[in-house]
Amino acid sequence: MNYVQLEKLGEGTYATVYKGRSRTTNEIVALKEIHLDAEEGTPSTAIREISLMKELKHINIVRLYDVIHTETKLVLIFEFCDRDLKKYMDTHGDRGALDSVTVRSFMYQLLRGTAFCHENRVLHRDLKPQNLLINRKGELKLGDFGLARAFGVPVNTFSNEVVTLWYRAPDVLLGSRTYSTSIDVWSCGCIFAEMISGVPIFRGRDNHDQLLHIMRIIGTPDERLLRKIASEAAPSGDGQAAAAKQFPRYPKIPFQQILPKASPQAIDLLERLLQFDPAKRISAADALKHPYFTSSAMVYPVPPTGTMAPPTYFPTPLQHPHQQHAAQQHDAQAAHAHAQAQAHAAYIAQQQGYNAAAQQPVYPMQGQPQPQQAQSQFVTYHGSGQAPAR
Amino acid sequence: MSTSLYPLASLEQIEKSPSRQDGIPAELEEDLRAFGCKLIHQAGVLLKQKQVAVATAQILFQRFWFVTSMKQFGIGDVGMGALYLASKLEECPLRMRDLINVYDLLLQRTAHTLSSQTASSSHHKPDFKYSPMSYFGNTFYDLKDALVVAEMQILKRLGFQVNVVLPYGTLVNYLRVLGLADREEVSSRAWGYLNDALQAPVYALYQVPTIVSAAILLATRHLGISLPTTPPWWELFDAEWEDIWSVCGYIMRLYRNRTQKDQLLVLGMVTKQSVRQWLEDNPPAS
Repeated sequence: MNYVQLEKLGEGTYATVYKGRSRTTNEIVALKEIHLDAEEGTPSTAIREISLMKELKHINIVRLYDVIHTETKLVLIFEFCDRDLKKYMDTHGDRGALDSVTVRSFMYQLLRGTAFCHENRVLHRDLKPQNLLINRKGELKLGDFGLARAFGVPVNTFSNEVVTLWYRAPDVLLGSRTYSTSIDVWSCGCIFAEMISGVPIFRGRDNHDQLLHIMRIIGTPDERLLRKIASEAAPSGDGQAAAAKQFPRYPKIPFQQILPKASPQAIDLLERLLQFDPAKRISAADALKHPYFTSSAMVYPVPPTGTMAPPTYFPTPLQHPHQQHAAQQHDAQAAHAHAQAQAHAAYIAQQQGYNAAAQQPVYPMQGQPQPQQAQSQFVTYHGSGQAPAR
Repeated sequence: MSTSLYPLASLEQIEKSPSRQDGIPAELEEDLRAFGCKLIHQAGVLLKQKQVAVATAQILFQRFWFVTSMKQFGIGDVGMGALYLASKLEECPLRMRDLINVYDLLLQRTAHTLSSQTASSSHHKPDFKYSPMSYFGNTFYDLKDALVVAEMQILKRLGFQVNVVLPYGTLVNYLRVLGLADREEVSSRAWGYLNDALQAPVYALYQVPTIVSAAILLATRHLGISLPTTPPWWELFDAEWEDIWSVCGYIMRLYRNRTQKDQLLVLGMVTKQSVRQWLEDNPPAS
């Protein structure tokens, strides 16, 4: 193998990730080792991840460089990123909450990566802070496409078991199998709120509880919408049972009350991302054009020192004396000014390049209608383990 | 309109497929491809698998033979691997044991048909009776190994390029555009051609609009329905006449009469061993 295996970075359900170094270019990479199971052949997560990520080349998507295929294992060579958003929030955030400049930068990059997936007809289906990777340059990249799938024009019936519970859209919780890109947009909204406050916004224990958590904040939708979503559910899923249940009528709580730190524009964007009705949810591409990103004047309500309360909604363990909080925030600001500056720089750089990037062909390498021209795509795959020459 | 596209075989791969290079005549390869797809189809029916998974499997199977020779892998094993893989891709995974049992039945039935057809006419032909494999016997483990290897080889040799676009949605759209959507005899006939076309390599040679146009052309011609020719209706769908005509040719060839000898030859070449044996007995004239 043309890579030196370095320390272990983590272990997932079907793979182990190591840090690695290319023998030819000295580049640091991530090696995702997948053990092949004789009981079920190649894991479908690995198949999805490789077949989709091979085609998705974008600054906000973790790049898959190469695949090494041996008898007993499959090694995926990925672009290396220092940490995921969860860890980033734990170390750089103020009790997990990120400053407004970093939030805006990460949110922009998250939506850009998501919009690129959707343009290329790929649903990620598992967006959450643990799957968003942050590198030293403050660039955010979508990773872990193990649950992703390509979607075609006709509405298909997909698996209902997607997306970690806390980031799962209400229509999926209600059993919908005809979901589309709006499922990822919901997750983006949840992540947005989490970056602002430092804690996941909806933390349910199970399917039903998750729905209640959502409704307690965004309000119970009217019967007609619930019935409409239920009618799209699979005939015998537990989702339909959930939809048939009567839900308590919760009023909507303004997001401003839950996220006092957020600017009015941030609140407006969040509102559009976290729409109960999937048809009303904004698209990732449109979200990028929202005034939250486009207006140059960033007006944030800055409360006087000592008066800034933590989010009021969340239960007691997170409550702490105001003064301590303010002091911590002060330290945190000094300590993380650097990280913030970098995140901001990444944001500015990418926003400027956005229009150019948007012109990229949807299918960069394939799709020539002439058989002879499509040759490059239809060849034997050489999992040679050669380092990429770039 | 941006429809998703997928890789196609290169001109070189079409002119001289890997099997041809190993000395398997074009016509024999064609028959073996079709028979492999029939086995996939039959297995899909017996397993009550969704048609999207079965069609995807047949398309992957067809692509595979543009990068690999039938001397290296048998059509039975690869068909089984393709169906297993396609079922994962379409999120309706199969149990390995179910798939293996069904293929075991299909292979036994094939062997039975072959032996009863070749036996002397005076000999009594017994009806086919499936004898299930023993639970701990080697048959299961051999087939399982072959299945895992085949799945992996399909992925590897296709470079994990397993994106498949199925033609059904496009057919419905085109029929609507042409005002034929409520003519049931047209839609069901065209639908049938699309399914039969899975036994030919067309899905690895042309994009969906061309194949769907061909199915509509065949259906309307057979039913004597005329469609606008100035400008020709297929131009609306970005299809070229030569390509449509070629797809029609591939489809109609599937229905031609075969001699009993040709039919039996195919039944006896499901495994790579039998293909190798045939190649030894019939060395390519060089």
